[in-house]
Amino acid sequence: MTTEELDPLIHVPTRLKIVATLAALPEGDALTFTRLQDMIGLTPGNLIIHLRKLEEADYVSSEKSRNGAVSMTTVALTSHGRAALDAYTQALRGLLGGL
Amino acid sequence: MNHTPDPTTAENGGPFDPKQAAALLDQTTQQARRKLQATPPWLLATRGVLVLAACGGIWLSVRGQHPYRGPTAADIPVLVSFIVINFAATVAVARRATAGVSGKSRLSPAQITVAALAWVAAAAVLAVLAAAGVSYGHYPTTVLIIPGVAWAAITAARAEWRRCVMGLAVAVVGAVGLLAGPAGAWAVAGIGLCIVLVGAAAAVAWQQRA
Repeated sequence: MTTEELDPLIHVPTRLKIVATLAALPEGDALTFTRLQDMIGLTPGNLIIHLRKLEEADYVSSEKSRNGAVSMTTVALTSHGRAALDAYTQALRGLLGGL
Repeated sequence: MNHTPDPTTAENGGPFDPKQAAALLDQTTQQARRKLQATPPWLLATRGVLVLAACGGIWLSVRGQHPYRGPTAADIPVLVSFIVINFAATVAVARRATAGVSGKSRLSPAQITVAALAWVAAAAVLAVLAAAGVSYGHYPTTVLIIPGVAWAAITAARAEWRRCVMGLAVAVVGAVGLLAGPAGAWAVAGIGLCIVLVGAAAAVAWQQRA
């Protein structure tokens, strides 16, 4: 097995952190954009760019809601994204000899 | 030529070594689980030690009473302080952990209502017992049975088995306390709830590391 077999969408530090953080939530739960940003420590612009890439691959889903004047975006890992992270984790284990 | 850097490449966290990836994945997962945990192990363990101290202190003061008269006036503030601190700390930590989280893991209004009604029902049972001449001080663990069973039912409906076992264990402590006599019930409450809370702390810690 080689590193080329690792999912290139996840095998990037920032996106790995995003996906791993969202995977820590129970299935069906979502996190607000601001809490996710706070937990990962990224600038809003940088986070948006990476989330867009993950969303294009259907790894994450986002939802915008409005409560009066306040708008809120929530982000969740899709079942497809969760499966991709599982596959990525398995591939990493294979590469590192089960360590 | 203008060059706009791709934020997904190396300088912004691009491809990296599998060992680094494994370490980052592990570290991020552990950190996220810790930050999102509404009932962290340290809080559960602290509550376990505090309930042991509070109920144990009362047991020490009532075990020599013949006949049994119940907790002394000095014991009541200790018990009330424990309940208030316990409630405030639990709510504060849970609020912080679940800030920005939405979805299935949050209790629905109906489930919150059932949990609140369980405490109302427990208080009603105590009032009925008091009206029948049976003081709360004689059966202190009675108050644990209905909320424990209600919590077990709510969490079973959500398929949260660890919390369900915890609710049932609290109800069992309440039931065992009824058999231990008035003074012994305080010891059962202190030791039983301490075991339940420390056990839950161990289970959460193990789950976070899995």
